[in-house]
Amino acid sequence: MYNLLYKEFRLAIHPFYYVLPVLIGALMLIPQWIFFLVPLYFCFISAPQIFALYKSNNDLEFSIMMPVRKSDIVKARILSIIILELFQIACSLLFALIHRSLYKIDNFAFDLNAAYFGLVFVMFALYNIILFPMFYKTAFQFGAAVIVSTVAAIGFAFAAEMLVMFNERFRNVVEGKPGPQVIILAAGIVLFVLGAMLTYKISVKSFEKVDV
Amino acid sequence: MAILSIDKLNKRYEKFHLKDVSFSLDKGYIMGFIGVNGAGKTTTLKSMLNMVHADSGAVRILGKDYTQNEIELKKEIGLMFGDMQYYAKTRVRVVTDVIKRFYPNWDDAVYDDYCKKFNIDQEKKISELSQGMKAKYNLALALSHNASLFILDEPTTGLDPAARDDLLEIFQKLVEDGEKSILFSTHITSDLEKCADYITYIHEGEIVASATKDDFIDTYKIVKGSEDQLETGLRKKLIACKTNQFGFSGLMKTVDYEERDGLTVEEPSLEEIMIFYAKKESAHV
Repeated sequence: MYNLLYKEFRLAIHPFYYVLPVLIGALMLIPQWIFFLVPLYFCFISAPQIFALYKSNNDLEFSIMMPVRKSDIVKARILSIIILELFQIACSLLFALIHRSLYKIDNFAFDLNAAYFGLVFVMFALYNIILFPMFYKTAFQFGAAVIVSTVAAIGFAFAAEMLVMFNERFRNVVEGKPGPQVIILAAGIVLFVLGAMLTYKISVKSFEKVDV
Repeated sequence: MAILSIDKLNKRYEKFHLKDVSFSLDKGYIMGFIGVNGAGKTTTLKSMLNMVHADSGAVRILGKDYTQNEIELKKEIGLMFGDMQYYAKTRVRVVTDVIKRFYPNWDDAVYDDYCKKFNIDQEKKISELSQGMKAKYNLALALSHNASLFILDEPTTGLDPAARDDLLEIFQKLVEDGEKSILFSTHITSDLEKCADYITYIHEGEIVASATKDDFIDTYKIVKGSEDQLETGLRKKLIACKTNQFGFSGLMKTVDYEERDGLTVEEPSLEEIMIFYAKKESAHV
């Protein structure tokens, strides 16, 4: 399992995608913006490009020849993408803190607060649970999986941003006192972890049936 | 002792059926796995190795059930799929660094030794290696984790005659100690005439024969004669035949052969056996 993870980071994922989250994270410095776009850039750029590289490098055939379980191939893949997502969130958090100390005014859309990051975790959980199980039906066709999961993530982000702008009750919860915000963050992290576990279980089930 | 035994392997696709594939390979030998394109060679190898799910059948490697001990046994196997290119734009050194971690028996000294012997430049990208070099690199990898069974799918396809000969010599040296075996699929039968001890012939998803090379060739005869002779009941006994203005030439099983006046009998080559079987199939279409 550790060897497969090493393979993901040394061979499968191009080093550019370790730098990209920093560049994307810096978008947090834009004043007055729709900040759900920042994590969405991971879905728009990083994920599809990385999946295209798996395919063009025949990664599946390479991995299957190694003495490893099929379930470990899935686990390493999901874990490596999750690590990149967490890195994306970490970079965004860093630039969000800079943003808050620089501008000191509220955002017209979702504020950069704990609730925002909680919902970003939920958005990634949703994205993963669609992307991986769909991808592992064939383990090489990624187009439909990327499109459907990205549309779902956009839908989620759109709903969150619209609610914060046009629904006062929602806005009071997510942009009001810190208590509910922290609860949303904690709930988001729990959902992200549970979602990842479920994503792995469903993906393995699909992948076991695949003829390479 | 059989290092590899396959028993009644079945895999059904919509337009292709691997039917009751059975054969075995002893320690210290090279087995040629032959058949025309699409006969089921790669499907057999992939079903054997659980890359595609066989509908039924059993595979034993080193005396152990493969599905029960897949990971342990994969460490004992040197695998090579001829036409596959993995991480073509990555340097040899980096690919090796990743692969060696999967094998507890990996020996860096052995790897360096083979790379020197085969002239494999560690700084070259995989795509910069010639076909022959790629085959040698794959062999160096397999040898460095001390594999005892080599499963090579079309390793000589696309190689020039000198590189092919070179590789065949390496295969022969590999099995010299009597501990390693090679299952080697190909449709280039002249390679097997040089180095195989056993031949397993697959046709339309079914094993036609699995025997020593000499026994396999002895099973068949090429008969030649005039067209009149063909019509005296001989045609039924032929697996397939070709006719031209001078007469006919056909392949038949040695057991079906009876001496007749005017018939010329020759020993077939592996290639001729394959060609006549393919002809039999096209005659049915």
